[in-house]
Amino acid sequence: MSESTDTSRDLSSTAGRFNTRVLLRRVVYPIAAVAAIIGVIWWIESRGDDDVSPTGFEYGVRDIDSRFVPDGFEVGTDAGQVAPDFELEQLGGDVSRLTDFRGSPVVLNFWATWCRPCREEIPQLVAEYAKHKDDGLLVIGLNLQEGRDLISPFAEERGIDYPILIDRDGDVGDAYRLLGLPTTYFIDANGVIVSIFRGPLEDKVEDTNVQGAIGQTELQQRIAEIMAIEAQPVPEANDGS
Amino acid sequence: MEANPVGQGPSLDRGRAGALPHNGWTRTVSLINPLRAVWWLFTNVRFAIVLLALLATVSLVGVLVPQMPATVKGDEMLERAWLENQRGSFGFLTDSMDAIGLFEVFSQRWFAFLLAVTVVSTGAYVVSRFPGIWSNIRKPRKQVPDRYFEMAPHRFAIDSAIDGERLEAALRAKRYKVSRTAESDATYLFADRFQYAQLGTLLTHAAIIVFILSAVVQRVDAYDSPLFLAEGSTLPVFAVSNPNQMQVTLENAYAQFAPDGRPIDYRADFIIYDRGEEAKRCSSTVNSPCSYNGYRFYQEAYFGYGATVSVRDTATGNILYQETLALSSQNPSPRVKVTDASGTVVFDRAVVLTDIFETDEEAVAVAAAYAGLPGGRALTFWIPENPQADDKLVVFEPGSDDTARATLAAGESATTRGLTVEYIGLEGIPASAADGIPVPGGSKSALFEMTNVAFGTDETSSGDYADAGGSDDADPTLAIIGLDPEAISLQEGERARIGGYEYTFERQAEFVGIDVRRDRSDMLVWIGAFAIVVGLAITFWVPRRRLWAKITADRTSLAGQAPSHANYSRNLRELVREAGGNVPEEPEDDD
Repeated sequence: MSESTDTSRDLSSTAGRFNTRVLLRRVVYPIAAVAAIIGVIWWIESRGDDDVSPTGFEYGVRDIDSRFVPDGFEVGTDAGQVAPDFELEQLGGDVSRLTDFRGSPVVLNFWATWCRPCREEIPQLVAEYAKHKDDGLLVIGLNLQEGRDLISPFAEERGIDYPILIDRDGDVGDAYRLLGLPTTYFIDANGVIVSIFRGPLEDKVEDTNVQGAIGQTELQQRIAEIMAIEAQPVPEANDGS
Repeated sequence: MEANPVGQGPSLDRGRAGALPHNGWTRTVSLINPLRAVWWLFTNVRFAIVLLALLATVSLVGVLVPQMPATVKGDEMLERAWLENQRGSFGFLTDSMDAIGLFEVFSQRWFAFLLAVTVVSTGAYVVSRFPGIWSNIRKPRKQVPDRYFEMAPHRFAIDSAIDGERLEAALRAKRYKVSRTAESDATYLFADRFQYAQLGTLLTHAAIIVFILSAVVQRVDAYDSPLFLAEGSTLPVFAVSNPNQMQVTLENAYAQFAPDGRPIDYRADFIIYDRGEEAKRCSSTVNSPCSYNGYRFYQEAYFGYGATVSVRDTATGNILYQETLALSSQNPSPRVKVTDASGTVVFDRAVVLTDIFETDEEAVAVAAAYAGLPGGRALTFWIPENPQADDKLVVFEPGSDDTARATLAAGESATTRGLTVEYIGLEGIPASAADGIPVPGGSKSALFEMTNVAFGTDETSSGDYADAGGSDDADPTLAIIGLDPEAISLQEGERARIGGYEYTFERQAEFVGIDVRRDRSDMLVWIGAFAIVVGLAITFWVPRRRLWAKITADRTSLAGQAPSHANYSRNLRELVREAGGNVPEEPEDDD
């Protein structure tokens, strides 16, 4: 009978003969099952790490042209490094790159309308920009992942007249390794990060670790520091570069 | 797990890994191979039972033993304090229990390991059994040895032949699949019903895997972000940047209360922004969440005492400060009722004590002056320091002689120049101190107290519950205390200029708590629940039934496999009788 044949086949396989069916059952299937579980976990973990902008915008971090990296400096987000370049839309609709402002000392303030400490420090930024913009200082308000509907009335009521760039997808925030808002980068005219201030800029006059600054607020001291550094000429672009 | 699907007697299933006829030495040899040893362990039914029992036990411990709250975890001091509290219940065992993680069972690595091993074991069981069961379904054994008719769990025999065709017809009438084989000395029949029901067991086991996987997905993938939003304000779902960033702007919060203060309904109207673009407008209640992009937005809290305040620089017109403050504290204020000589109530509200001054009798007192009484008169109210101890209200009319001064205990009243002042008692009014607000002199701190608070600004927020220090016919009034030279009191929409700043009480605002959740394990739980219900239903209600028959010239033998709870032997007897066999009416006990 056919049954006896089946039984003998099973017996022989358990005795050590390694046929395809046994291989599938005992090796391939379990490995496939484990691989499937690992795959599901990996898929869940890796979601959102795609480099492609979710909104489809082409804005975000850009490779910096070597002409904008002074000799002896590296690109990075620590003090003493050249600030990474990025290209973002402005609140008014124009598109700006950080390197467009090379030659001006820049206060790069990451903020959002929902962030209370950001709201509290904005009057200081407005006041300091009004005071120093004719001397070449640029304040950039880099809004994190909000839309014009929220930003425009907010900026208008607070008299914000410095450029506001919108980081829709948070790519620039990620590149600058934000831990929270507000965070302010103080960048000299050569694109080098001089200091970083994480948290709200107090408007009280206190001593800080910035040398030679007495009777100034934290913001004023750091602005004075970046404005004291002279801009070096940027080499002309080569044809085809 | 099921060792033998038929429950009793010898099994006739083929190719089942668990039923492989290992003898002593082959098994020993096979176990020498470490992979085979592991495979054998994971497909072992006893091992699976031990795992499930262990899992059930530690889960029970996790339910019965208090688990450390998430709000405590991560803060060493809070954790120590929480553990000290547990010492009262568990005494000297507390430290040992903490060391092995019994206060955090479900986040222990060993618990995760136990789950993983259970998944692998159950998966291995399903994988190892499936080929055998499938083969047994598709190619069942159609003839059995003669001795099986003498030892089958369900069997019946008579010493005469019956008509094989009639038996086949009777079986087909009962929706069996039948095959009949005629040989020289005997006719063999094999009948099978609900053959695919044998997969029900595997379905049940697969459901266990799905449940455990759903727990893993929940742990890895679930997200929960509570937002506490004021009307008109916006908050992000994720802190800092995130590829799935959304913002929620609360447009309106509604609350409806019964006259006794019992809440009847809450609702929140809000807008969801997806990376800056308006994506959806929602109206969410506690039981009707709003869904967007895989996230659910539940209203889970309501708070009615909020005040939106803005401060402008009078020189530039720019807003320097604009916040909605949650007045979550309660400040004691005397409730006072004033009636004139005709008995008309001219004043009935909680008095906000805005000033601090020194007197001859008490070092410090808090006071308030109220004008606007009939005849252009005004009254000053003050309470000596430590009002809880004295609970006295001093009423004084400026410009009058000292005899017009009255000191009242709660419930007392006094009449001065035609006005009767009744001190009803102290009551709490919504209050909060706030930092960061521009204040003349640069202190950047002020105290806010609000009276005449009524929840809501439209029809659905009606009710008497929010009668906090107010009169029914007055607008909410906000006192800002701590400004130099004096405190100000503003009704909704009013503004006041002090020291280069313009203060505006924009509105009373309500807060809601919105919980934003994503839990994609939901679907897995539903799938698992469906699978386990279907699997169990199949296993218990439509189990596979198999029947073998051998008909010779002088004997008819039937053997069957069915669940132990089915009285299948009786069915066999009935079948023989329907096929024309000479079977007595009264059943006999064949088993």
